[in-house]
Amino acid sequence: MEDRPCALLLKFPGTNCDAETARALEAVGFVTEVLPVSALKPGKLVGVSLVVLSGGFSYGDYVMSGRIASLVTEQKIGETLKDFRDNGGYILGICNGFQILTQLDLLPAGSLVENASGRFQCQWVKMKNLAPKSPFLSRCPAEFELPIAHAEGRLVTKEAAEAAGYLKSGAAALVYTDEVNGSFERIAGLTDESGRVFGLMPHPERFMKARDHYDPDWEGGEGGWGSGYWLFKSLHEAIKEGEA
Amino acid sequence: MREIYEISDRFIEAGDANHLLYEPLAGGLTYRRTRRYEIQYEGDAAAMEAFVRKTLLDGISQELHQGEGAALTGYGFALEYGMKPGALDLEKEAILSYYRGIPSPGFELKDLRIRQRIYLFGGKGDESGRFVRDICNAAIHQWNVLPGHV
Repeated sequence: MEDRPCALLLKFPGTNCDAETARALEAVGFVTEVLPVSALKPGKLVGVSLVVLSGGFSYGDYVMSGRIASLVTEQKIGETLKDFRDNGGYILGICNGFQILTQLDLLPAGSLVENASGRFQCQWVKMKNLAPKSPFLSRCPAEFELPIAHAEGRLVTKEAAEAAGYLKSGAAALVYTDEVNGSFERIAGLTDESGRVFGLMPHPERFMKARDHYDPDWEGGEGGWGSGYWLFKSLHEAIKEGEA
Repeated sequence: MREIYEISDRFIEAGDANHLLYEPLAGGLTYRRTRRYEIQYEGDAAAMEAFVRKTLLDGISQELHQGEGAALTGYGFALEYGMKPGALDLEKEAILSYYRGIPSPGFELKDLRIRQRIYLFGGKGDESGRFVRDICNAAIHQWNVLPGHV
């Protein structure tokens, strides 16, 4: 019998990081399935421990990034993702997946809009881990680097005070150490009250091995692994502990 | 029945208009973008507006303007463009596909016309030709230039 936890990766038209994200999840011990949204039904989440919305440009980012994907997901499975979370399931959104999760109201209210630069930004960023007890970040160091690649990654809230509140409440799990894209309070990743839903703009799947780092002499990689590995490893361990 | 909605962003500042051009202008123009949706429909007006708010508007970061009037003021000119009739408009197709999946929308969407608007601010003289040349593609786009509202 399969004892590896199952991660289901939803693939929308325009999702393009699902294969590398699946490889990253398998590297830490998940068994994965990439599911086209056309085949999505509520029953597809049975036996799944983790739902992943990976990066890309779902539906060409039409209307706004993540909007059509969130509407189609809601149309196909209604409140199933919320029930999945309430029943102990984990949900991870990376980049476009983060944008979709905010649109699905699975994360604290916020919206990811065009970068303050007005440009697509593809670069490495350093972040502070403000939620070291989060199941998604427990094995990540206090500060670590990941690459970003987005045009709409600036997290805004209706009033600026809401974003400041996310720092106090712990919802802002990751913040950029430097000004990157104009995000309120430099927020790079948000988690919900349950702690089982997490979205971030940077791409952990692109920094799985130390050799993926831009500096060939980078020595931060315990065991030869990159920071992204430890994010996925944290999650795998949390799920395995929950099963025990 | 017919209704027009224009959606503007609350948080996006006016950007350097030279980013839209292949060769920079000396004038120091800035720009803001909006999206305009012209909807022909029959049925419940409230249901149609609810659809627009849910599908096309982000309540956190955007504002909805209803009617023919321009959403922004103080501009030197504006360029409005969209796909030609018959050209494949993937944004329109995505919206219509979602609409067709709604069991009881409460209204019938007869037609949807999507336009991008770029409002240009500042500068001297009529520079609209440069923007038409560099942004619009005569093979697939229709466009018109709107006079200023200063």
